[in-house]
Amino acid sequence: MPTAEALSHLVDDATVVYILETHRHFEDLRQVASQLAALLVLSAAGSRESTLDHPMLIAAAQLHRDATDGLRRARPTLRARRHNEHVLAAASHLADALSAANRVINSDDIDPILIPLRAGYAALREAANALPGFELISFERACCGIHLPNEVKPA
Amino acid sequence: MSAYSLWVMEFAAVPNYPLSGLVYGAHNQGTRKLPYCYIVIKGQGQVAMVDVGYNHKAYGEVLANTYGVKGWHPPKTVLDEIGIAPEDVSNIFITHSHFDHMGNIEDFPKATFFMQERELTKWVWTMSLERRFRWLMLGIDPADIMRVVDLARQRRLVCVDGDRADVLPGVDLHAAFDTHTWGCMYVRVRNDLAANSQDSFIFCGDLAYTQENLRGFDPNDPEYIPVGLATGSQFNLVMTTEKMVNLVGGDIQRVIPPHEERLKDLYPSRITKNGLRISELALADGEKSQVY
Repeated sequence: MPTAEALSHLVDDATVVYILETHRHFEDLRQVASQLAALLVLSAAGSRESTLDHPMLIAAAQLHRDATDGLRRARPTLRARRHNEHVLAAASHLADALSAANRVINSDDIDPILIPLRAGYAALREAANALPGFELISFERACCGIHLPNEVKPA
Repeated sequence: MSAYSLWVMEFAAVPNYPLSGLVYGAHNQGTRKLPYCYIVIKGQGQVAMVDVGYNHKAYGEVLANTYGVKGWHPPKTVLDEIGIAPEDVSNIFITHSHFDHMGNIEDFPKATFFMQERELTKWVWTMSLERRFRWLMLGIDPADIMRVVDLARQRRLVCVDGDRADVLPGVDLHAAFDTHTWGCMYVRVRNDLAANSQDSFIFCGDLAYTQENLRGFDPNDPEYIPVGLATGSQFNLVMTTEKMVNLVGGDIQRVIPPHEERLKDLYPSRITKNGLRISELALADGEKSQVY
């Protein structure tokens, strides 16, 4: 999570508030995408772990609801408008993917899940590129990324 | 008589990486160049690789601008230096699921990918945990998971459960569960093709970053010191190091950490026109050197 101080060097105060307010919801949508993709991997790879009634699907749906509610409440500044559009688009695509997952997670044709899932992830990437402080991979503490505490670069 | 040519191919690097991230407990001991590399195994009518590097299209700019990664080049450019195209690669062994080891899946359209099933199932398990456990997901790119879905649908994903011998002639996969990640594996090439090989190399992924993980800081009194990051345990890393060293007859120079810059001191190498290093570990019979 970027600090307000680090962000304040890059964007105006109102946008800092927006970033701090929506950061967690962005991460939650990323988690929803990850969970859906993970279930698809298990299904496609024929893993021994069943995907039937997987509790993660229920958890993903709840996480998605909470994140979407939070994002709708957020008040984007002009600087944050593009980010907000992308992240809401991501939420919409992921809603489609979740809805399809409840119908076809165990079927051979997983495109109804995968296509909106990819679109959702692409929208999250666009959102991450639109404002500082949002990342799809936790590089800063990953083993092969340089560790730069609380440093945020302009998007 | 070598069955395979073996090259370590640099595709990017971090010029100044803290040593404490590479060797457990080496705090305040400065920095070191951290090359990003993958391995090419060529011979017996096959071209195989160990890991495929990170996806520059997706986050190369972030890594370059924010995390100091320099000099990235695509597999097409990197492999061209040894006369190989990505389309020539038939088998790829993914040591673990971190972004810098498996992000480039899409660049190898004809390859079959091998990884441990435990690495996949533990992803899923980890993703079902509460937010406060998110540290367990570091280094994982959700987009890589979607790429694996495509591999599975195209029947180009082989989930390995534990060790598997002779996945290619003389090439063995060894599981290293609960070490650097949940389902790590390392690759042993028995370059004499013998069951009791006297000419083996181990490609260890991130089970070791550097020679100090394999021999400590005092060559006269060697010890195993694990890498800085273990999702599993440091104990398992140390015991896996012992297994790897034993598989190469105690010769730690044959355990190849892909992030070790000093391979150049152990093996013939050259710098390409793009500033990337190629280290040549072995040449198959009849193969021309790519570094001289």
